[in-house]
Amino acid sequence: MKTYEVFLKRAGKDPFTHAGALEAPDDDLALSFARDCYARRSEGEQMWVVAREDLLVADPTELEMADRAHRHNDGAFLRDLRQAGSSEPA
Amino acid sequence: MRSWDSMEDFEAFLDGGGLVEPDDDMPDAYRQAVFRFIELHANSEYMGGLTERDWIAKAPGLTNKLKALAKTQDEIGHAHLLYMVAADMGVKTRDEMTADLLAGRTTFHNVFHYRACSWGDQIAIAYLVDAAALASQQAVFKNCSYGPYKRILRRIIAEEGFHMRNGEELLLKMAKGTAQQHAMMQESLDRWWWPAVQLFGPDSPPDDVLLRWHIKSERNEVLRDRFVQKMVPQLQAAGFTIPDSDLRQDPDTGRWVSGQIDWDALKAAIAGRGPDSERRLRDARNAWDGASWVRGALDEAAAVPA
Repeated sequence: MKTYEVFLKRAGKDPFTHAGALEAPDDDLALSFARDCYARRSEGEQMWVVAREDLLVADPTELEMADRAHRHNDGAFLRDLRQAGSSEPA
Repeated sequence: MRSWDSMEDFEAFLDGGGLVEPDDDMPDAYRQAVFRFIELHANSEYMGGLTERDWIAKAPGLTNKLKALAKTQDEIGHAHLLYMVAADMGVKTRDEMTADLLAGRTTFHNVFHYRACSWGDQIAIAYLVDAAALASQQAVFKNCSYGPYKRILRRIIAEEGFHMRNGEELLLKMAKGTAQQHAMMQESLDRWWWPAVQLFGPDSPPDDVLLRWHIKSERNEVLRDRFVQKMVPQLQAAGFTIPDSDLRQDPDTGRWVSGQIDWDALKAAIAGRGPDSERRLRDARNAWDGASWVRGALDEAAAVPA
């Protein structure tokens, strides 16, 4: 048995979302089980089923980006400026 | 993978609404408690699905047979989803959970230790037991700290809602039916009222870790009381009585107060000493053994190179 992950896309603009997992002996049965387990009441108009072992999983610590503050602008500078009632930087 | 330096840090994370994911380095006590809770839920869905299956052939009329079929698929489906979530916690494999259930080493809810004798019983189960189970699940979903369980509960709750509405619809049909149908329904309500009330469990202990770790969001007695407040007027309006001779309405608050609840009956049922425990487990073992050829065929399919 292999473990598969199931993704569903509802009608409209929603993106694919992870629905859950299942066990199946092969790809054909995985698709069939996925329909039975996750889409009995038209929960999606599209479905992706992928073997868990085929997923490329990123290291979460490499996603933190704690040292990339320059990619954001939290607005603190402008807020302080407006609170001070001045248009000149302090 | 996230980790926490101490239980205090972990609990602060949970109190702040944090969701724990399977890869996280969660405290072992939390992992064990959540796993046991999900395993109990999975076992109960599975045992419930097997009972439901018995009524596919026996339900009166094609519509009711189709609904019983759909409900059986739902309950077995819920068991599938929950066993996957439980297995991903790395405490036991799915095969180990199945073996433990069939050997009577793990438990399932008290209500599945009673025999469903008549069509009226099936309706009482759909109306009372499904409503009680749904109320408990909603209370877990509301504030559940374990991400995969919370996400799968959303789907389960939506489907249990169909079952409860089916139950209410069928109950009201019986209420408006012949005297014989009304009597059958009353008899079934008499049998299932107490097990459904007991399903919520005794009052939560003050130090309940399931509450502290945001698995449950409400105390057992609060959920039980809400169930009684909702069900008593509904059943009375439909012309039925509640099999609790000490049930009374507080004159000041208007709230219903149950008589003494027999917690020994709950303990005995969960321990496998309920009126139908033995037959239920035997039936589950037979179903498992009877389907071994399917598992064999799947294994062979898996062994064939693509």
